Amino acid sequence: MAITRINIGPVHPSTHGVARLVVDLDGDTIVNVEPHIGYLHRGVEKLVENRMYMQSPPYMEKIDYVAPMAVDELYVATVEKALNVEVSEKAAYARIILLELQRIASHLFFIGSVTNDLGQSFTGFMWGFMDRDKILKLLENATGQRMFYVNMRLGGINREFPQDFEYQTKEFLDYLEKRLKDYENFIEKNPIFIQRMKGIGVLNIDDAINLGVTGHVLRASGVKYDVRKNNTYYKYSELNFHTKILSDGDNLSRFRIRMMEIRESIRLIRDSFYKIQKADGSMIGMPVKLFSPKPTNKISIVNRELPRGEGLMYMVADDKKPYRLSIRAPTFINLAALNKIAKGHKLADLFSIFGTLDMVMADVDR
Amino acid sequence: MDEQEKVLNARQEMDQLVVDSLKGRKIKPNVVFAKLSDLSKVMSKGVVHWSRVNSVWPLQFGLACCAMELMDFGSARIDAERKGFLLFRATPRQADVMLVAGWVTKSMIPEVKRLYEQMSKPRYVIAFGECATCGGPWWESYNIVKGIDQVLPVDVYVVGCPPRPENLFSAVMKLQKKIGGDVEY
Repeated sequence: MAITRINIGPVHPSTHGVARLVVDLDGDTIVNVEPHIGYLHRGVEKLVENRMYMQSPPYMEKIDYVAPMAVDELYVATVEKALNVEVSEKAAYARIILLELQRIASHLFFIGSVTNDLGQSFTGFMWGFMDRDKILKLLENATGQRMFYVNMRLGGINREFPQDFEYQTKEFLDYLEKRLKDYENFIEKNPIFIQRMKGIGVLNIDDAINLGVTGHVLRASGVKYDVRKNNTYYKYSELNFHTKILSDGDNLSRFRIRMMEIRESIRLIRDSFYKIQKADGSMIGMPVKLFSPKPTNKISIVNRELPRGEGLMYMVADDKKPYRLSIRAPTFINLAALNKIAKGHKLADLFSIFGTLDMVMADVDR
Repeated sequence: MDEQEKVLNARQEMDQLVVDSLKGRKIKPNVVFAKLSDLSKVMSKGVVHWSRVNSVWPLQFGLACCAMELMDFGSARIDAERKGFLLFRATPRQADVMLVAGWVTKSMIPEVKRLYEQMSKPRYVIAFGECATCGGPWWESYNIVKGIDQVLPVDVYVVGCPPRPENLFSAVMKLQKKIGGDVEY
């Protein structure tokens, strides 16, 4: 059979940024997918080398713009490890609350974009964005910015929560729990949705481990790995939550894992609001100064469970600035699975597979 | 008495100046007598103009972070459609406005140019966000174009990192004023 080669992107409605895919087709069946990346490359790792430690968080936030606070926190945690700064108990809980809120926002965006990728199912998009907007409002109330918060400081956060933050957040969580049932009825139990998603893009457990994918992609394939549990940080060990896994490894299970994770995050936030009352220490970290304390650890490696998978930063410290910062972007490695799982499926399924891998191309290119 | 006279004289002079200035000009009458065919030509011109202002179709072209706010702009809370800013078009041939949302890398310039050239005239560009207006935080980077105005003619700039969706809404209304001829440029 003759093989047709077509080019998708870099500008395409459902490439989640600027991805270019070169697809080899046999009729309508995918033979090979080759992602071309680098259309958003801006050299964050190089720029950071010329900035002092606490000047870099704004750059870090733009790495993964769907969940900016998570990457910001990862970077600040790396600096904290290099400078040997301890995070107080109260600040740890405060960070958990903010990070889990950010995780829910990111997952709601995922729901919106996946339903949109399936062919302009616009209700899902509208719903996802409507609820995400409510979280952005809460975070804006707590941090002062709408999208890029720059809220993490060494040893804590920038400012205390406003007085009505706890009440508003709890009210929102009650609303979201009711809302998730709607999502379930409308999307997860929708026969058309299930037909489009079930058995598409199957990644089996061996391939998932060999490719090094993390996050929801790995958990959907049946590996119980979550950095929050396996290499626990802050107070996650004292909070009550489960690592959810499914065994199918297809599009539907990747979607369902996300829905389960939202519920776990709701539990985590409620739990930490309860425990933050008895926690000691101050929530506020060190203000940003021109002269920060000198780093004591030459090399520091920190990993975190970002909404999109495991993020890791490796920093070689210098006197005032990082000598070298290397970032393991979760989506860059998850993208490697695309060729493996898209083979043998129809062209129309390519973007549902691409969507459920949850790509952020700025994260891939850095 | 002298001052009153002065004032009266000044008024007369002003009136005379106005009358002189109007002498060479044609003043539009309120009532038009014309052939029906001529009238329909004039009317159709107006209709085209009016509809151009009130149905601005943007190109679906998200680059980076600002595209998130762009999506928010198109979603339920802001509801851009009430001002004729319709659904985002996936093909440049149906679009009037290009919203450059995000930083433009050097490898992206040919693509952006090509998209702009594929759009049908009259076409407009909104530079959305700091990166598109001047390079923003990436001004030192080796791979970023410092402002999309080095490549395309920009009509409206929106500042902010990222600008709020409401901010984009005001920019769109400004563009509509510009298309309507209310703003001189």
